[in-house]
Amino acid sequence: MRWRLLLWGLLYLPASRAQGIDPDLLKIKNRMDSIVQFSASLKLNVDVSFINMPAKYARMSYTKGKPLKFSSEDFVMIPKRGLDFSLNSLMEFPFITVPRGEEIRNGKTYKAINIISTDKRADFSIAMLLLDIKNNRVAETEINTKKDGTYNLLLQYENSSKVLPSLVEVNFEIEKIRIPLNFMGKDTDIDRKKMRTGGSKSGKIFLQISNYLIKYL
Amino acid sequence: MKALIKAEIFKLLRQSKTWYALAALLMIEGVILFSAYFQGKNILDILLDNLKKSFYFEGTLLNGNLLVYLILNTLWFHLPLILMIIVSGSLTAEYKDRTLQTIMLQPVSKWKFILSKYIVAIGFTLAVVGMLALTSFTLSYGLFGKGDLIVYLNTLNFFPSGDAFVRLQYAFVSGALSMVFFSVASLTLAVIFREATKTWIVSALFLILSNLLLKVDFGDTIFNRVFFAKLNDTWQNFFYFNINWTLVYTNSLLLCGYSLLFMAIGILLFHKKDIG
Repeated sequence: MRWRLLLWGLLYLPASRAQGIDPDLLKIKNRMDSIVQFSASLKLNVDVSFINMPAKYARMSYTKGKPLKFSSEDFVMIPKRGLDFSLNSLMEFPFITVPRGEEIRNGKTYKAINIISTDKRADFSIAMLLLDIKNNRVAETEINTKKDGTYNLLLQYENSSKVLPSLVEVNFEIEKIRIPLNFMGKDTDIDRKKMRTGGSKSGKIFLQISNYLIKYL
Repeated sequence: MKALIKAEIFKLLRQSKTWYALAALLMIEGVILFSAYFQGKNILDILLDNLKKSFYFEGTLLNGNLLVYLILNTLWFHLPLILMIIVSGSLTAEYKDRTLQTIMLQPVSKWKFILSKYIVAIGFTLAVVGMLALTSFTLSYGLFGKGDLIVYLNTLNFFPSGDAFVRLQYAFVSGALSMVFFSVASLTLAVIFREATKTWIVSALFLILSNLLLKVDFGDTIFNRVFFAKLNDTWQNFFYFNINWTLVYTNSLLLCGYSLLFMAIGILLFHKKDIG
């Protein structure tokens, strides 16, 4: 019994000690938390093979502790993930971080970490973040949600001092639309086989964000 | 000729069945609008179901533009049926009441007489489509407001409100050409059958067959592109994201050609046949 406890201690104790929260992530989170309010203009471009939609415009506003708000005269589709710059949705429930070394994107080196949720209530199982330690901000995120598939977010910033991104590319998985035949409009051109099988497609949405008005603590 | 056209307009407006038909059309439009509202809800649920997983929606798609589009989808079957009854009735009634013989005793050219009937039938058809367009837009926008239009034609197409309004107007113009074709065809059938009931039955059969054949895919053949039944949904081309204007112009010209052909056959038969 004693040797079993010793073996358990040797195997698991160092790992559990290592699985704290990454200090660079906390620094970024603290920086984001210093924003109490912001508003910005949004231009959305959808790139999904079976959707034709012109560019859409909206205003978004954020107040700390509250969900993002959108207003538009048009009909706009806002991605469920991709605009949570405060990282609240990833850090809402208990989690651990695991370092994954470094990754290079466009010649720049970023610190890679995994966020693993330890609480059943979280809507994601694992997320991968690329942290720009030099500029204290997130460069890329990949979130594996429990219900809505995987989201990959690429964030670009106007310059090195900016805390909020000017361009966000959201990559996501989406099920091919399944419409009953003879439904709205002509049906003779419909690929019946494709319609029966449906299937999953990848989609992109580009968010151009400008005219930020930021209020700090 | 002007006097003949005036007389035909006078006769058309004097007969009570014209006004009954217009009232019936407005009633049908109201019912379609009402059902389109509930149909629209279901359609949006189905169309947006898988997008709901990835997106939040801001704004509503159940608006006047979607309702006008749904009205158009239903209208192009009911409208020609009523138009065919009224238009063919303008000649069959003259056969039945023997007023045709009275007119032909006057110094009136037979081909001018029947041509004036065709001209008035075309004018009446265009006026009815115009009235329905006006009431559709007024009622739909008045009750449900404006907004983006969503249409599923192989892909999900979203049109901004202003663009949707223009496309819907084009669709009414294109649909009017189909309606003119059916009106002209029914008048030609009236020339052939003379008797009201027979003409209505054949006209209804003609309309039903046209609608059934529209859905039959004859493959990638010239027949599939130029057959008259296939031209009657040209209006749908305005709801593809990129409008194929060549196809729209070709189909519209072909439809005008078919109308002229049916008209020429009608005039020729009327000219050759005895009135008695």
